[in-house]
Amino acid sequence: MSNWKPVCAASDVAENTLKRVTVDGLDLVVANHGKGVRVFPPFCPHMHEPLDQSGMLSDGLLTCGKHLWQWNLITGEKAGLSEKDILLYDVEEEDGKIFANLEKELVYEWEEEDEMDDDDFFGSD
Amino acid sequence: MPSIPSIAISRSQPTVEDDDVLITIQTKSGIFPVTCKEGDNVLYAGLRVGLTLPYECATGTCGTCRCRVTEGETDLQWENAPGLAYVKQDKNETLMCQARVRSNSTIRVPAEVTDTGSRPGYFSGTLSNLVSLTHDVARFTIDLDRPVSFDAGQFVVLNEPSLEGGRAYSMTNHTGETSKIDFVVKRKPKGKFSDWLFDTSPNGVSLSVFGPLGRATFDPSEGKNILCMAGGSGIAGMMAIMEHGTACGYFADHRADVFFGVRTSTDIFFGDTLNRYVDCFPETVSVTIALSDEEPDDALRARYPSLKFANGFVHSVTSEHMKDRYENVVGYIAGPPPMVDGALRILVLEARLPASDIRYDKFG
Repeated sequence: MSNWKPVCAASDVAENTLKRVTVDGLDLVVANHGKGVRVFPPFCPHMHEPLDQSGMLSDGLLTCGKHLWQWNLITGEKAGLSEKDILLYDVEEEDGKIFANLEKELVYEWEEEDEMDDDDFFGSD
Repeated sequence: MPSIPSIAISRSQPTVEDDDVLITIQTKSGIFPVTCKEGDNVLYAGLRVGLTLPYECATGTCGTCRCRVTEGETDLQWENAPGLAYVKQDKNETLMCQARVRSNSTIRVPAEVTDTGSRPGYFSGTLSNLVSLTHDVARFTIDLDRPVSFDAGQFVVLNEPSLEGGRAYSMTNHTGETSKIDFVVKRKPKGKFSDWLFDTSPNGVSLSVFGPLGRATFDPSEGKNILCMAGGSGIAGMMAIMEHGTACGYFADHRADVFFGVRTSTDIFFGDTLNRYVDCFPETVSVTIALSDEEPDDALRARYPSLKFANGFVHSVTSEHMKDRYENVVGYIAGPPPMVDGALRILVLEARLPASDIRYDKFG
């Protein structure tokens, strides 16, 4: 289980807030939606807006303030105007600490090195 | 060269004249050939033929109209456009609103696009009626070479030949089809356009106008109550919304709550017009002026008897006054970026409006 890394203390992220952390050189955002926590890449999959700053969280719904793309963090599904899913790391909470499975960095297709491929540029939805 | 998306649809090629260039615009929903002149702006060329290309500011700041040039040559109208931070120029990505086409080109746009949009166009205009409203706010009119019709809340891009790049300004009037469009502008420190406007009194000067643009519009058929949150000259498009709603009697059975933020009482403009809108529909229309830097006094209340006044930032004042009044509301936001962010938080987190009922054009 060496891919599971401690991300931060659960008490570091108050309900309906987002916190940016760096774990082993990997940038992440931790979000407390009230019924649990989610850990995801730090940028909006639309236009790379930093979600710890542009993100608004209420009733489990995460909204990026740039173009109002939204995701239900409880179910992990996209909502409203959003055209892409948010990528979520597996998380566990134990002894007041949040752990995430960082075996593979999650990247949106927009960011992949071989993005000259059309399907990447156009997205997969 | 990778294959194009399988959902591409074929269309007949338009007639191409000798001095025309052809832009082939590939989108998630199909391929659209667009003919234009060499040097034309890619975004405007597409919008002119009705393509619903993604954009917000249309003037190089927001990055929403990013695209990739896969064939042909374009160059940049404004080489230091802030919106270029959102694109990878080393991978031939650019902003459609800043790309001028220099040869037959193929451009990919990562969005669903149709050819059923409204068709904005180029106008030539003459500036007139420049009047100071406060120490740093002025209004002016542009007389167009032909009438234009636009929705309340829309804007146009003004180009003055001696100033680099275009400037987006919302129309403050709404009178159906008209060849006179009105604007309000706040002087910005080191703002080239506002320096030009305030220092040279350019009445009679010719400008190029492209529009109308923008989707933060008022549509009476939606049947929604109106909430406007404006900072400074962000009130412009909301003046058009209030004019339209008042003129067509919309506020006889729909509410309008307008919150207008300025620093001090000496920064208030359009106060008489707003006062009149309240007087037309006093039961349903409410206008609150939020003064961020001072307490409102009795003289101010006497000056504008139908307006309400409060001390505080416009989003805080809105939050206090609108509690439990967000039913069937569509919210409009315009102003400086920090004010827009604060206002968005109110509409998303407190009002819990769906994203489709929040209207703003992101210029930052």
